[in-house]
Amino acid sequence: MWGFYFHELMRSLPFFLKGLWMTVAVAGLSLIFGSIIGFFGGIMRAGHNKPARLIVGVWVDLIRGTPFLVQIFVIFFILPGIGIELEAFPAAVIALTNLTASFITEIVAGGILAVPSGQKEAATAAGLSGYQQLRYIVLPQAMRTIFPPLVGQYVLLIKDSSIVSAIGVVDITRVGWLTVQRIPEGLMVFGLVGLLYFAICYPLINLSGYLERRMTVVSTKI
Amino acid sequence: MISFKNVNKWYGDLLVLNKIDLEVAQGEVVVICGPSGSGKSTLIRCINRLEPIQKGALIVDGMNVHDRKTNMTQLRAEIGFIFQQFNLYPHMSALGNVTIAPIRVRNIPKGEAEKLGRKTLVRVGLGERIDSYPAQLSGGQQQRVAIARGLCMQPKIMLFDEPTSALDPEMINEVLDVMRDLAKGGMTMMVVTHEMGFAREVANRVVFMDEGTIIEVAPPNDFFTNPQTDRGKYFLSSILTH
Repeated sequence: MWGFYFHELMRSLPFFLKGLWMTVAVAGLSLIFGSIIGFFGGIMRAGHNKPARLIVGVWVDLIRGTPFLVQIFVIFFILPGIGIELEAFPAAVIALTNLTASFITEIVAGGILAVPSGQKEAATAAGLSGYQQLRYIVLPQAMRTIFPPLVGQYVLLIKDSSIVSAIGVVDITRVGWLTVQRIPEGLMVFGLVGLLYFAICYPLINLSGYLERRMTVVSTKI
Repeated sequence: MISFKNVNKWYGDLLVLNKIDLEVAQGEVVVICGPSGSGKSTLIRCINRLEPIQKGALIVDGMNVHDRKTNMTQLRAEIGFIFQQFNLYPHMSALGNVTIAPIRVRNIPKGEAEKLGRKTLVRVGLGERIDSYPAQLSGGQQQRVAIARGLCMQPKIMLFDEPTSALDPEMINEVLDVMRDLAKGGMTMMVVTHEMGFAREVANRVVFMDEGTIIEVAPPNDFFTNPQTDRGKYFLSSILTH
């Protein structure tokens, strides 16, 4: 029996690869948009403008303090109630971008604030503008602190993307749910699902570890 | 060149500068001394508005420092500032450190800025360390890079905030030598320091501060041999016996 189901599962492989592609698409788009928004958010959060700092802070707390499943339901089911109709795919990307951006905001703000204040003072005394200080002095140094947890956040993003299956996006997890109804070998089906996630995440986990070691070596050597 | 007119500054309720009146002429070297917490560092940090003042006027090179309309970039470009902790940019080589502001603030082409940077690093005795990163340099070398960084902007004024206090004793002189050269070259300088030998040798005047107030202003020989106030006498006896 097991052999038969395994054969069936192998025949479903193209379906799984389509799911994998969907996961990569949702996570990849969210990664790009979330990083861009997160960097701007982090710069504002660590900046001098008090209202901007406050608004970004409230947003970050709100997103970090609520379950992602609830956020995605709000976007997918409640927004249509006020006239904003969304397909599952854009709703998933928006929700995941929003989540990722809030975490990256905290990572970037932390990295910027970890740069010693003497660096900004020296740059100010030299006549560099606020933008130039950020661009040439603060961000290059902050990147060392930002990079390792940033890559770690990407791993979390890929795994959290499994929740978008709840609104009907056919990602790997959803493919697993659909397949298990046909092939009632849960362990085998979700074993494959897990393996596919692992195949994307594992290189990133290694990259994160590598960056962490390298950044530590660099900052002690230089 | 630098003119304090009845300047007051508070941190919250704490009065840190109290009715400061001081004129520094072009080419003059003024050493500021006094016990810690007396406001010496704050005084020179006001000159390029690293600190705001709340009362009075501060005119530097004809510009009112604390007027909103003053172009601070232009003013700061004319003032080199040397920190106790050097504050070199750790991700840039010595040459990168000294050329960033000339390139970005003065808009000097990169090649020209690097030529100027090399020349200035040679001038402070670091011709061999042009491509070194700050962490590869000793404290004395780092502070000399910091001085070169200030000089590359070809400033009219150089301010020094305890430039040798973070250095091991054997490195103090290499930094003071560079500062002596600058003074001889006619640079307008204000130096917060505890190096009384340097003050005696190089300064035109010594300003003695305590509790945010200027207590005495005198040529170094007069101040060191014959201070006019009890606080001055007490300060000198306490630093000379230690």
